[in-house]
Amino acid sequence: MKQRLVILVAAAVCAALWSATAFAGDQCLTCHEALDDAQSKLFKSDIHFRKGLSCVDCHGGNPKSEDMEAAMSKKAGFIGVPKGDEISKICASCHSEAETMRRFGSQMPSNQWENLQTSVHGKLSTTGKEHILQCTTCHTSHGIVSVKNPASPVYPLNVVKTCSKCHSNAAYMRSYNPSLPVDQLDKYLTSIHGMKNAKGDAHTAECASCHGSHDIRSAKDVKSKVYATSLPATCANCHSNARTMKAYKIPTDQFEKFSRSVHGVTLLQKNDVAAPACNDCHGNHGAAPPGVESVSKVCGTCHALNADLFSASPHKKAFDDRKLPECETCHGNHEIVAATDKLLGVSPDAVCSRCHHDNESAKGYAVARTMRQLIDSLESSEQRARTLVDDAEQKGMEISEAKFKLRDARQARLQSRTMVHSFDEEKFRDVVGKGIVMASMVSEEGHRSIDEYYFRRVGLGIATVVITILAISLYLFIKRIERSQHQQ
Amino acid sequence: MTENHELQPQQTKRDFLRVILGGSLLAWLGTVIYPILSYLKPPAQAEAEVSSVKVGKLSAIEKDSGTLFRFGSKPVILLRSASGELRAYSATCTHLDCTVQYRKDFGLIWCACHNGKYDVNGRNVSGPPPRPLDEFKVIVQGEEVFISKKS
Amino acid sequence: MKPTLKKIYDWVNERVELDNLIEFMGKKYVPVHRHSVWYYFGGVSLFLFIIQVVTGILLLMYYKGSEDLAFESIQFLMSKVQFGWLIRSIHSWAANLFILTAMIHMFSVFFEKSYRKPREITWLTGMLMFFLAMGFGFSGYLLPWNELAFFATKVGTDIAGVLPLIGKPIMIFLRGGEEVTGATLSRFFGFHVAVFPGIFTVLLGVHLLLVQRQGMSEPMSFENTPAGERKTMPFFPNFLLRDLLLWLIVLNLLAILAVFFPWELGKKADAFAAAPAGIKPEWYFLFMFQSLKYIPGKLWIFDGEVLGILLFGVAGLLWMMVPFWDSKSARGEKNKFITYLGLFVVFYIIIFTIIGWIS
Repeated sequence: MKQRLVILVAAAVCAALWSATAFAGDQCLTCHEALDDAQSKLFKSDIHFRKGLSCVDCHGGNPKSEDMEAAMSKKAGFIGVPKGDEISKICASCHSEAETMRRFGSQMPSNQWENLQTSVHGKLSTTGKEHILQCTTCHTSHGIVSVKNPASPVYPLNVVKTCSKCHSNAAYMRSYNPSLPVDQLDKYLTSIHGMKNAKGDAHTAECASCHGSHDIRSAKDVKSKVYATSLPATCANCHSNARTMKAYKIPTDQFEKFSRSVHGVTLLQKNDVAAPACNDCHGNHGAAPPGVESVSKVCGTCHALNADLFSASPHKKAFDDRKLPECETCHGNHEIVAATDKLLGVSPDAVCSRCHHDNESAKGYAVARTMRQLIDSLESSEQRARTLVDDAEQKGMEISEAKFKLRDARQARLQSRTMVHSFDEEKFRDVVGKGIVMASMVSEEGHRSIDEYYFRRVGLGIATVVITILAISLYLFIKRIERSQHQQ
Repeated sequence: MTENHELQPQQTKRDFLRVILGGSLLAWLGTVIYPILSYLKPPAQAEAEVSSVKVGKLSAIEKDSGTLFRFGSKPVILLRSASGELRAYSATCTHLDCTVQYRKDFGLIWCACHNGKYDVNGRNVSGPPPRPLDEFKVIVQGEEVFISKKS
Repeated sequence: MKPTLKKIYDWVNERVELDNLIEFMGKKYVPVHRHSVWYYFGGVSLFLFIIQVVTGILLLMYYKGSEDLAFESIQFLMSKVQFGWLIRSIHSWAANLFILTAMIHMFSVFFEKSYRKPREITWLTGMLMFFLAMGFGFSGYLLPWNELAFFATKVGTDIAGVLPLIGKPIMIFLRGGEEVTGATLSRFFGFHVAVFPGIFTVLLGVHLLLVQRQGMSEPMSFENTPAGERKTMPFFPNFLLRDLLLWLIVLNLLAILAVFFPWELGKKADAFAAAPAGIKPEWYFLFMFQSLKYIPGKLWIFDGEVLGILLFGVAGLLWMMVPFWDSKSARGEKNKFITYLGLFVVFYIIIFTIIGWIS
């Protein structure tokens, strides 16, 4: 009875609207609006509605028929609420057709569906029937608006919330990737990007800025925009853009500098993903420049020994007191080049003398000078040993054992370069001393080997002289015998 | 007499020739025998090096330890786990060619130069090393332990 | 002679009649003519063989004939053992010079037709020794177990393997299995230091005994020369001392070669490594190796390579049997054909060796 009443009322409303609305032909909307349901209300604000699309374009059926049974019958092509992958397919039926999109005056790309299928969201499935998400998961269904519209769930200020609906849900994420963290949003909110985003700055990076939108891939996928070798360029999209960065008053040369650095060359040219990208120092979701006192911890995640030595050294306190960023003060930040022995000491291009002047803190100055002398002498003795070994080898002498020892000298030199960070002359002298002893042993062997080379030649000379004398005297002896034979 | 007179210079010449001949023959023998005798003198290091190295008795290798051995011109580290299992890896750090060592306190292979760490399977687990250590074969024949190249 | 030396001499003489031997050698004459110089190459070959025996025995003091140790033991010998480099280099150089001088010796005999009656057996033993020398070279080449030797042996034994019927068993016999492995090394080592030297010594004994017994072969022109005009020199002491003089010079040459061009060791053989570029057999196999390359893969119904090997086999056999089919020389007549054939073979070998060397 009640149902019939509703239908009756609806029919009456429909009839009333029949003459009142411009969409007199679209019976779906007419009825559903009369029912006052959320979908039809929302749809009024939908971009598709404004472009002239209607319910039937997604749901099928016959909008002309006033008979509800007929309009929403299978015969009329009515499909009801699309389910699973059907949803995205319906969207794609227009959005993947460039021609159709152009007809509606859209400049949008037409590869979203294609991209989605390559993405981690379009590939994984728990049911085997439908994939993780459909277009509507992020774009909603009936109130779809342009991404530039602040009401859109994928508008920069909203996208964080949209993604985190799933990504911060540990129980949900577990069903796809139990090892994937779910704290990205929390971290993001602590980052400079997140804080600005929360304050309503739509220009800072949000999820999609780095991960992409439809074509999101796992960070371990080499094609991902956040794969280690691609990440610097992804960050540079904004950070190297002077116009974007103008409002934030920060430099835009980090990428350029990083590309020249030892890390950048290793990562970008040698494709060694063990080298750090931007996020390894700045964090990824919680991206922020490391604080002055934490620099050595950040660098120390890889350069552990150097960091440990530094933290135990007198420099730690001195740097912190003066608000000097630890490693960075000597090595720089984005443009870190391979450290050479030149950094050490008191020469103009050395870094020690930036603080330790000849007169003021004379002790530091003296230590720096001594350490440089030590490492220089180690290098030159290693060089000398190497030259001798090479020379001996060039001369065809077998000298593999000395070459083996040369490794130890080299190792001592590498270790001494780490030991510099203790800024302790005695410890440093110990390591260097070992290397110098090794190098001189190798030199000795090299000399011996080269001497042996000349000994062979001298020996041959002596033997040749002896043989020549013997041969000549034997020849004369033969002649003598033959002469006496003739006389007989 | 006249015959004698004629022979006199010849005689001295011949004697001189014989002295030279005999002397140089002796010297020549020296140049031949000296190298041969030195050759036969066993060198300080009495054995040739091998592609498989005998590293000693099993009982002499402590449990939970790592020992370095020379293998050709490169070092090799032999690990013996607490349970007695033997493993050998190239002891050359894959980062900058320093020589690695076993750290009991970490239970890891450790490189002193830059704090690179490898687990007992030779995998680089921490620090700068870009790839795992090369593995060597450990062969136990009775009590003797050998290390050889993995082919 | 000094009294003590005389005493010793007399003591020995009483027992083994040294006087007879000296008298015999003193009566032996070596013909002197414009081709006399070739007589020395037999002696030099003998000297080089002695060098090989001495240095070979010395090398045995340090060599270890196993897959794991062979290369390392040579490396050890070259770097740690005093004068090890010298002994090894001399052994390698003398081996090559030995093949060269033996070859010259063989060709001089061939051109002089000295193989004619009654010296057929001398020629046969000589030829057998020459083949053995090549076997020495082939087996010795592998012993350092380095990359080049490994692949040269692989190729060499492969060639033997293409022969129909007997090829495969021969290859397996030589390799001690399907592949060149440590088993091959053991076999080659055995051949090189035991089997070949044993056979060689017997052949050499017969060869030298016949030379002493029959005397030096006289050139054919001597038969038309009156006995009085035939120039000769006594074998002892004149010829022997000259021989010794030449030996000294050869020894010095070996020392110079060993010091300035020490024999390289190269890289250790690795069965799984790719064959290095430009593998060539030893130079004395080069002309055959190169010829095989020029034979087309298929000749009528025969396999080109098989045909080539058989051809070389037949040619070698005919060459060895020359005393039995060259009846003209045996009758003392000039045989121009033999001379032209010899010249052809010499030029063939030289040209193909050069082509093989530079290609």
